[in-house]
Amino acid sequence: MTESTLTKPILLFNDECAVCRVIARWVCNSAEGQEGGSSIDIRPIGNDPDALRILNPALDIWDAYANIHILMPDGTMRTDGEAVAETLRNLPNTRWLARCFNVKLFGRRPFQAILNGAYTLLADLRPLLGCESCGIPPPWLRPFHWLAQRITGRFRGRNHTAIKSRLTKPPTLKRTR
Amino acid sequence: MPIAADFVKSVTGETFAALVLASSEPVAVEFMSYGCEHCRLLEPVLQEVAETLGAREAVFRVNIAVDQELADRYEIEGTPTLVMYSGGIEVGRAVGPNPSVKVLWNAVTRPFEEIAS
Repeated sequence: MTESTLTKPILLFNDECAVCRVIARWVCNSAEGQEGGSSIDIRPIGNDPDALRILNPALDIWDAYANIHILMPDGTMRTDGEAVAETLRNLPNTRWLARCFNVKLFGRRPFQAILNGAYTLLADLRPLLGCESCGIPPPWLRPFHWLAQRITGRFRGRNHTAIKSRLTKPPTLKRTR
Repeated sequence: MPIAADFVKSVTGETFAALVLASSEPVAVEFMSYGCEHCRLLEPVLQEVAETLGAREAVFRVNIAVDQELADRYEIEGTPTLVMYSGGIEVGRAVGPNPSVKVLWNAVTRPFEEIAS
């Protein structure tokens, strides 16, 4: 745990990902609806690893892009399904639902486990749902991803590539500008 | 990914000319973005290679989400792309290299060895 100067939780989202943007907008609208102002900050991850480390020294920018993170005022960090539960806990419309994630049965939290599974599934599906930056779909999803690319006519991401490794050498050495 | 020493230094549009083009030493530049999963897979391998290279060769990164102009200027079509420079001249390019030490080591050292031979 680290010292923190945060006054409310910060939800980081990948603003290069269409799915993440839609979810962030929904969270933002829900959070703004409550009395006394929003109880959660929603921020894009951005491109500055140092700026993220100021928020939480344990926060790595690569990890922030790989899965959902919520930074807590007590200096802790929640990720994956736990971060989703924490977000729902901070929204007026879903606070009631979030209570079930704390329910324990035989020492386990079954609803939280279901949420963790659902988050993993959604994270896997992101490349299929229009995420331009979420990169490589897991093996089980690759046939569907291939099919989706065929249907939409998009074979490569805008900024990202999964093409086979190749080494090239310029035909003539050229002075770069 | 654990936060460790960063052996790959960031370079921007403002510092590119001074750190990369004006360098008399061999330089490898990775064009990447933090939101790119392929770059994420490559990162620990690139760190290992950069650490092993030490002073023999400088390894830099350009975040194309910030420096799109550099990506356009050097005709970067996808990330990660490694471009090797010697005396400000592009001598090699590796597009989407497999994230293995051997592949990456070859990618960033072979162009300079070919020049030397």
